[in-house]
Amino acid sequence: MTYLEALIQHSVALIIAVPLLSAFLMPLVSRVHPILRNIFALLMLTVTGCFIGLLTTDVLANGPRIYIFGAKELTLPLVRILFEVDGINVFMAIITIILAIIAVIYSWSFLDKQDGLDKYYTLLLLVVTSALGMEMTGDVFNFFVFLEISCIASCALIAFWIAEGEALEAAFKYIVISSVGALFVLFAVGIFYAQYNALNIATIAQAIQFSFLDKIALILLVVVLGMKAGLAPMHMWLPDAYGRAPPSVTLVIMSATLASFYGVLRILFTLYGNILPTSIRFDLPLNVVLGWILIVLAVVSILIGVIMALIQSDLMRLIGYAAVAEVGYMFLAIGTTIAALGAPYATVALHGGILHVLNDALDIGLLFLVAGAIYYVTKKRSLDDIGGLARTMKFTTVFFIIGLLAVAGMPPLNGFTSKFLIYESVYQLNPILSIIALLCSILMLAIFIKVLYATFFGPELPELKDVKEAPKSMLLAMGIVAGLAIFIGLFPNLFLDSLVKPAADALLNHTQYITTIVGGI
Amino acid sequence: MLSELILRIILGTLSVAAFGVFFGLLYKGIDRKLSAHMQGRIGPPIRQPFRDVAKLFEKENIIPDHAIPWVFNFIPLVGLVATISILLYLPLGGFPPLFSSGADLIVVLYLLIIPSLALVIGGFSSGSPYAIVGAQREMATMIAYEFPLAILIITIAWNLLQKGVTSAFSFSTIASMPVWNQVTGPLGFIGFAILLVVLMLVTPAELSKIPFDSPEAETEIAGGLLVEYSGRNLAMFYLIDGVKTVVMASIVVTLFFPYNLSAFLGLGSYEAMIIDIVFYLFKIFLVILFSVTLIRVAIARLKIDQIVYTYWIPLTLASLIGLILVMWDGVIMNIFSFT
Amino acid sequence: MFTLESGSGFWNPLIWILIIFIAFLLFYGIRGFGKSLYKKGTEQTKAFLSGNKEAAPEEMHVKASNLYWGFTVSMSSLYSRLRKMHTGNVSDYLLWFIIVLAILFLVIGVI
Repeated sequence: MTYLEALIQHSVALIIAVPLLSAFLMPLVSRVHPILRNIFALLMLTVTGCFIGLLTTDVLANGPRIYIFGAKELTLPLVRILFEVDGINVFMAIITIILAIIAVIYSWSFLDKQDGLDKYYTLLLLVVTSALGMEMTGDVFNFFVFLEISCIASCALIAFWIAEGEALEAAFKYIVISSVGALFVLFAVGIFYAQYNALNIATIAQAIQFSFLDKIALILLVVVLGMKAGLAPMHMWLPDAYGRAPPSVTLVIMSATLASFYGVLRILFTLYGNILPTSIRFDLPLNVVLGWILIVLAVVSILIGVIMALIQSDLMRLIGYAAVAEVGYMFLAIGTTIAALGAPYATVALHGGILHVLNDALDIGLLFLVAGAIYYVTKKRSLDDIGGLARTMKFTTVFFIIGLLAVAGMPPLNGFTSKFLIYESVYQLNPILSIIALLCSILMLAIFIKVLYATFFGPELPELKDVKEAPKSMLLAMGIVAGLAIFIGLFPNLFLDSLVKPAADALLNHTQYITTIVGGI
Repeated sequence: MLSELILRIILGTLSVAAFGVFFGLLYKGIDRKLSAHMQGRIGPPIRQPFRDVAKLFEKENIIPDHAIPWVFNFIPLVGLVATISILLYLPLGGFPPLFSSGADLIVVLYLLIIPSLALVIGGFSSGSPYAIVGAQREMATMIAYEFPLAILIITIAWNLLQKGVTSAFSFSTIASMPVWNQVTGPLGFIGFAILLVVLMLVTPAELSKIPFDSPEAETEIAGGLLVEYSGRNLAMFYLIDGVKTVVMASIVVTLFFPYNLSAFLGLGSYEAMIIDIVFYLFKIFLVILFSVTLIRVAIARLKIDQIVYTYWIPLTLASLIGLILVMWDGVIMNIFSFT
Repeated sequence: MFTLESGSGFWNPLIWILIIFIAFLLFYGIRGFGKSLYKKGTEQTKAFLSGNKEAAPEEMHVKASNLYWGFTVSMSSLYSRLRKMHTGNVSDYLLWFIIVLAILFLVIGVI
């Protein structure tokens, strides 16, 4: 076996191992010199990114790849921890690592005057590890373990600005919600183990029936992971946590949120894939009922997100509410796919939903980075206290305008491509859904135009007279994200064909996931 | 292939820009003349808007102290360019659209936001309190009229989908299958008639005409969002107004009346083209007459919260009733066909 | 190849960008026919306030919370109800979670 093939074979484990190990080495490295610590974090994340890139090319060419921890090949009984990587896993991993690298580049200058940065970088790498672990694992209990790691590490990171009381309160709310959720997930994992004597997703998916206990496990998992992803009416922790954490932390917490969304996808499409068409009472199949419940919750999320964001005056909290609305769009697409499983427009909706995950991560990330730049330069949080910044912060204004147009879904940026796919497939299920989604897109535009005016336009305020442009590394981070947003908007088919369609196929053909493991024995 | 495409883009853009600007200003002049006669005045000559634009180019281009110069100067151009680009996707003059596979109805709906957005950003960047009040009123008006507009666009596409058409949003499909031919009974007819009335009432809000021109209220907030604009920037906004009138009228004609006279009369090629273009211009004139001029001289200006209420409660309910009637269209005929 | 196709529509961003570019060049040239000079720093560049005196910049800048007054006041009943729902109490967050769990149990598990 050549060196490259060995590298690809072990890349699945290295993707988890490299950030984990560098997280533990971080306190040692940061004793040497701060700049070495910064470079070490970025270097390790770039190495992880290279491994993810290698794995992506392999998975897209050769199909799902299995990695068994502690054995050379699959033997019965399946007690080993298995990682199975297919199209959707590498897609989410790419999003996570992009967000992580941008966050590290941004934190170089955003947090350069703060204390306790060695712990910050350690926890950041731990959150990245846990998000990557949630996205690549093939084992339900392993998913729970990584979920717990992400909860605890994120909670500590949210409370980074301890001097402000509100950050501690937000972290407290986050840990309460996450712990309750994680306990319910553990209960669901326990149900699976008790019934099927296995913890492997593929094994459970093959053996699953539709008994009462299975229904309980389904509901627990979907509701808890929906809450962790920010689905209304359980969304209220999201503006608190996103609004009080430093923006670079918000980026990695967003990757943990998107990993929870991936969890919903995996459970609905793969774990319960065989029994989705079974009918419950009134001759309604399970997928129609579950899909419509998700659609209703998603529409409520979109409406609550934009309506509440319109009246906020704290900038980062406002962007947090906009993030709730964007998660609503994702769940709307997924709900449509599940409710209309098998129709051609369901595939288009799934493409739109998965592409929207990438677009949402980039757009909301860009908005948070700009909000952080404003906070760094003016030390003010509320929109009522600032104004007239476009005179001195020209680059930041341009990046904010790009982020605004992208999040509102204006052509030719990337938000439009995924929303286009969502509108043109959801209306075939029910026209009212598409109408509400269109309307809330305009409201999103209104919200961010208000922010644009309040921060960047207007006369020069005397207290903000000596405000300078944001530091170079922050501008670099914002520039990379804005450039990606424009690139995806101008060449949507490139990303659609190479990344999104394999991911959607991997979800819809759930039997391939199962037979890769179970058939290989 | 590529060079032919680029040549088509260049020539198409230039000719459509000339068409849009010329006919936009011409219809603006006709509108002013007609509304003056309705109000018992004589009114300016029809070529007055051309003189207005020429005069505006002679004036000084003042940039206020509190404005952001680069946004202030750049935004009118962005709005005008986006409005021209919509014209390339619509079937003008009875011909198929220039780039029919480049954009569909949803794209045009979003591109229609860009001129109003340019007005809003321009108003916000002017640095004057009047402009800020006008700009936020324009944003609230935009939120208000998008709701009925979204409902009627999705209804038209949904109706085509039920008849088994793919590409339900594409303009060539909509222009070749007129809405009135797709209904199978009286319910659908009434539904689409309601939606036509709603669209005619959304058009003056899109174009910021009385009674929905609260953002540009000359008598209340001294010109609203355009208060600080002058000279060539104001000329750009003036042109945006003219071209957007042609665009909105073309959209109304394309969605509801895409009939061609030449197919009716069965003429040869050159006469058919000329008859088509004249008939199309006549249809646009009728749309502008009914939805801009008549409403403008009849009703007084509404307040901003009345505008939001008007679009979100009565007009949205009306378009929802239209949607439900169209959805039940086939059902009632099925019931009747069994009797 | 460069056109995004959903089942019901098309969108080709590159053609649109080319159209915008050419129209931009055209209208930038036309705009250049206008005058660009003005007298800076005189009465011309002060904001037009119908003859009133200009106040200090902080007072002229409309606060962001007061924006979109027209929209928020027409939807005031909805907003007051939504504001009361977002209490900020962690127990209420968990209450919403339990409510959704209960509704889903009833719909899928029991019925």
